[in-house]
Amino acid sequence: MEKEKQIRLENLIKISDVLWEIPQEFRQDMRVPARVFANQHILEDVFEDRSLWQLVNVATLPGIQKFAFAMPDIHQGYGFPIGGVAATAIDEGGVISPGGIGYDINCGVRLLRVSMTADELKPYLADLATEIFHAIPSGVGRGGKLKLNQEDLAKVLRDGAHRMVELGYGTQGDLEYCEETGRMTNADATLITTTAKKRGADQLGTLGSGNHFLEIQRVDEIFDEKSAQVYGLEKNMVTVMIHCGSRGLGHQTCTDHVNSMMPKMGQWGIQLPDRELVCAPFKSPEGQDYFNAMAAAANFAWANRHLIGQWVRDSWKKVIGDSVKITTLYDVSHNIGKRESHEINGKIKQVIMHRKGATRAFGPGRPEVPSHYQPVGQPVLIPGTMGTSSYVLAGTKESMEVGFGTSCHGAGRRMSRVQAKKTVRGSTLRQELEAQGIIIRSDSNSGLAEEAPIAYKDVEDVVSVVDKARLAKKVVRLKPLAVIKGG
Amino acid sequence: MHKDFELLPHTADLKIRVYGTTLEQLFRHALIGMFQSIGPRSKNCKKKGERLYCPQLPQQHDITLQAHDLTSLLVSFLSEALALSDIHNEAYLDVVIHELDQNHIRATLQGVPIEGFEVVEIKAVTYHDLNIKKVDGAWQTDIVFDI
Repeated sequence: MEKEKQIRLENLIKISDVLWEIPQEFRQDMRVPARVFANQHILEDVFEDRSLWQLVNVATLPGIQKFAFAMPDIHQGYGFPIGGVAATAIDEGGVISPGGIGYDINCGVRLLRVSMTADELKPYLADLATEIFHAIPSGVGRGGKLKLNQEDLAKVLRDGAHRMVELGYGTQGDLEYCEETGRMTNADATLITTTAKKRGADQLGTLGSGNHFLEIQRVDEIFDEKSAQVYGLEKNMVTVMIHCGSRGLGHQTCTDHVNSMMPKMGQWGIQLPDRELVCAPFKSPEGQDYFNAMAAAANFAWANRHLIGQWVRDSWKKVIGDSVKITTLYDVSHNIGKRESHEINGKIKQVIMHRKGATRAFGPGRPEVPSHYQPVGQPVLIPGTMGTSSYVLAGTKESMEVGFGTSCHGAGRRMSRVQAKKTVRGSTLRQELEAQGIIIRSDSNSGLAEEAPIAYKDVEDVVSVVDKARLAKKVVRLKPLAVIKGG
Repeated sequence: MHKDFELLPHTADLKIRVYGTTLEQLFRHALIGMFQSIGPRSKNCKKKGERLYCPQLPQQHDITLQAHDLTSLLVSFLSEALALSDIHNEAYLDVVIHELDQNHIRATLQGVPIEGFEVVEIKAVTYHDLNIKKVDGAWQTDIVFDI
């Protein structure tokens, strides 16, 4: 196995201003070339970590098709880089790899539309932020208000957000406007271990910590009038963005399956350059078990965001009153594996699409997109970093051809948490954000410092690459009014 | 005094380097390093510098694990401690190891109830850069945690 080395500009072929290729000849064990969507500025950061070498490793996966892709928010992960995308052909010995999906299964984003303008909200904003901060636990070790027994939890794992509607939380509309309607039907709750279930039992309705947050925003600028209209977004309208995943239940599920696949790699004759790429043939019992367990954990995350969405409604009603309508625009996953059909070399193939720190971006006419959105494609929700812009994009027809119908997921880190804490003081950051008129509700200044915008790539840059590459197109930009996050 | 662990730079996650004169010490320091580096908050304990000091560690859990090899065993050991921490809202700042070999560990985790972690929550223990080796006669490894 070749020793790891830094990949530099001279190793890349420029396909366009926003697309670069590492040819298959670069390393002997690559089965396909690797492609990264980036501009020159982003590439400079990318060369500083190991993410491109990791992308080359992804290109060695059995059954991988076309290219190992990376989105412009690419950064170093373990196994797959964050922002990595790989399609493996099911009928060609294609594998499924938990590392290509992530420990936080179905980490994703939900965006709600509120029938208020930012000006109308202003007098209530501080109280509302406080109310939401208390209503929706965030940070470490904070249990949720809903404690599920084993039977209830099994139903949530099987039916995801649908189960929450049955229990009286949220609406049918919340389901319709959600990827997979908030339920992957191949989920098998019996494959979630007792340990994972114990962890998840009191975590439904919680945000977690790290880069997870809830943001109250306003629509700042409209780039695509037609799509904005179809999505029901107007200038100065208030939106609420929820970013979180499957909590301890999902993390444990990934850990369990990584541990169970690891010793079996020999029996499938799979040799990998990195242990964290551990995988199983999709058709093997272990591959099937992981996919069906992953779906159950994904359902938990959708139930989670669905419930948090309803509690946002409850908080709004408490502080402002019930004349306000809050509806779900859409909910997307950015750590997930899907069975999809794609045209590859003139043939339609069934693949396992791995998106880790990458968001599906299906275009107009796709059956997976809610019928109301089909004329313009699915919404793609891109959270910015604290105090900076977030975006709503729309999937395009070209996206399937160019990048397997995929877009970025956010800005992507460029500085470690340790370095960020040395560079930024949490209390100073809080003051700076408040000086911009952004209300912060967080009980950890240290947690704030680590999430400082300077620690991330520029989201404007990342989104402009996605737009230019035709992976997805800009629809609106959102700006934060209030940020609620845990430590 | 021998160093037990230190924090290393890493772009998106948490990385520590762990040292031990024996394999038992390596496992013990890995556990201590994992919990101390995320800033546990416990009203029964005092913060001194970057670390938490507890006069007693009353929360005890016996664990027995099997694994394919030493690397998997370390990951399983830390993962089990992490899961118990999440379930019980505790942090384990020490461990008594009764048995340890390449494929098997039997130990008693010792910890305290916590109100939370000041720094961050660990999602998982990864295999990334995990390479248990002897350097100058002592055991050493890096461990990357997904956060």
